[in-house]
Amino acid sequence: MRDVLRAGADIADGRTTRGVEARRRLDELGLLSPAGVELALGSYLETSASERELDELVACVETAPRAHVLLSANVCTAALRALALATAAAPEVHVRPSRRDPIVADMLIDALANTATLGSYERVDVLVPRSGDAVHLYGSDETLRTVTEALPAGVSVWAHGTGYGLAVVGSNARLDVCAEGLARDVIVFDQAGCLSPRVVLAEGDAARAESLARCLDDAMTKLGETIPRGELSDETAAAITRYEHTLQTIGATWVGTHHVVGLDVAPRAFVLPPPARVVHVAAVDAASVGRLLADHARYVTVVGASGDGPVARAVAVLAPHARRAALGQMQRPPLDGPVDRRPTASA
Amino acid sequence: MPSSEPQTASDALHAEVRSLIRLGHASVRDVDELALKIARFQARHVDGFRRLIGARGVDLEAARSADQIPAVPTDAFALARIAAFGPKDDRRVFRTSGTTRGGLPRGEHAFRTLETYELAASTWGRRCLWPASRAVCIALTPPDAPDRDSSLSFMVDRFMELLGGEGSHHLDAERGLNSDSAAEACHYARAAGRPALVLATSFALVHLLDAEQDRSRCGLPSGSRVMFTGGFKGRAREVESSVLRRQVASLFELPPAQVIGEYGMTELSSQLYESTESASGTLERSGVEHPVYLAPPWVRVTAVDPRSLIAVPEGEVGLARILDLANVDSAVAIQTADQVRITAHGVELLGRAPGAPPRGCSLAVDDICQRGRS
Repeated sequence: MRDVLRAGADIADGRTTRGVEARRRLDELGLLSPAGVELALGSYLETSASERELDELVACVETAPRAHVLLSANVCTAALRALALATAAAPEVHVRPSRRDPIVADMLIDALANTATLGSYERVDVLVPRSGDAVHLYGSDETLRTVTEALPAGVSVWAHGTGYGLAVVGSNARLDVCAEGLARDVIVFDQAGCLSPRVVLAEGDAARAESLARCLDDAMTKLGETIPRGELSDETAAAITRYEHTLQTIGATWVGTHHVVGLDVAPRAFVLPPPARVVHVAAVDAASVGRLLADHARYVTVVGASGDGPVARAVAVLAPHARRAALGQMQRPPLDGPVDRRPTASA
Repeated sequence: MPSSEPQTASDALHAEVRSLIRLGHASVRDVDELALKIARFQARHVDGFRRLIGARGVDLEAARSADQIPAVPTDAFALARIAAFGPKDDRRVFRTSGTTRGGLPRGEHAFRTLETYELAASTWGRRCLWPASRAVCIALTPPDAPDRDSSLSFMVDRFMELLGGEGSHHLDAERGLNSDSAAEACHYARAAGRPALVLATSFALVHLLDAEQDRSRCGLPSGSRVMFTGGFKGRAREVESSVLRRQVASLFELPPAQVIGEYGMTELSSQLYESTESASGTLERSGVEHPVYLAPPWVRVTAVDPRSLIAVPEGEVGLARILDLANVDSAVAIQTADQVRITAHGVELLGRAPGAPPRGCSLAVDDICQRGRS
């Protein structure tokens, strides 16, 4: 396990050979801006963990002779935790990185293959598990379904699918402080991760929700000046236009160069904006939360909350498996298991 | 009773739209002027539209073209009331199919009066679809009722009344598609020597084709027509549209040109119909791959860039922005996520934009047909 963390630390350090190479290659890939790459590698690559956390990580994993890992591209640093979990599961680890962004995964595997004191690591193009093996899958629900259906019998599957973060700002919270924390949680990885907050439930009336939206717009504008958003694909840009347009009809929007904040003060439904630094703020009370989250709570991986008011408590009941974090810390879960603690789909 | 000023203004606009519909043709200027009148009315009485024009900084009083009217996105119909009147004045509310496709609830389109809707639907249906002034209607849709919310069922039942009232339904929400009764209705039309009009979603037709494999029970008299609507992405097997047309034509023993696609949606009051020239192969020979639809004179479809929502040049692919003068009390211009190409022949439908959730009555009918099978 410590081998994995050491390999990660080597990449996180912008002065090492691997650190320089990772930054160069991720900059060339262009999914994040150079500042976004530096933020991800320099501040969000999980390179430290207490013994207690690592013990918990080991305890949550089912062991097997071999572990096969399928990675997704959403978060460039996710490969480290996935490799840590696979290492805890098996002495022999086979990894199929995402085709869209294999960089950190490739570099970690390369480092571990050369330096690991225990276990073996191999990069593969196709996973070929056998009965008795463990398969760890990361990706969209659709990808996981397709892959799981094709697996042989006797394979244990740990699948982590579609998910996102939800933030709750209580009625007594300081809006500017909450907004600053939220902005930090949103901009890292350009909101692409399964912990990235995409919806904020503002406890209270319309005026308070609007104040929060304005504070969030300010905070994200400020952060965007030094950490700009990466390039948008045509599909994402079109989805942002569709979201903006819709929110301009039903509520309000604040559109920055590198973000959008949407506000719905009388939400009829839960609106999930596209993941590209687009945040949806909804004015709610404890009574409306159940209706709004009924079909969506199962996708919530983390709840970032300020305060423990009625809305936060209602959300906790609806999303019991979601991690809990303070605003500003939603993307920094301890290395004590998978980031996603929802019951996983398994074969 | 509704407050008098908006209703008076609305009634006047409805009357103007109906006059234009009855005229059967309209200049670009006529459409622009009436559309702007309607938009100005909606800016005063539809909260969501007022917010949208404010956010976009549009001055409707200074506008001279309907293209300047911001189009309300179809998603908004699921998230807010888009109506110039309150719920107590609802005569009917049509809802989009399905429950939470794409995570959104069902969109709602409320109507204070259905007179303009009925005139628009019947006028263009008569021109593009109806085989004659009287026909036997064979509906593969559930029957309409005042407490039901399907605009397709409403339109089908109005067609049935206007075509002489001789018709039958062969799809039940509980039991699914009844292919035996549908075949009997076809036999009746044949025996009576009267042209038939089959009205169905694409999925209902796929289910009928499956049920009627290797049988020859559904032949229809010469001059009959089949209308199909909706796409194919769902739980039934997917059938490419040209294949579906050939199979349906064969099932009903009609030329492919008599199998006509309909393009409509809950958020509109009007419909487009496939150009029958396309079905006959004229356009296929000229290299057009996709079905081409004709809009009535009171509807204008524009292809817009998905990022900027600015119109793209003719012949390029964009998202359909649809101006429908019959939408007097809701949104005269709507923005869809359907990809289209506008050409001299009409509107080519190219499917949903990538990333846009599937929608449509056809999906709901697929649910019903699957239920009927279990």
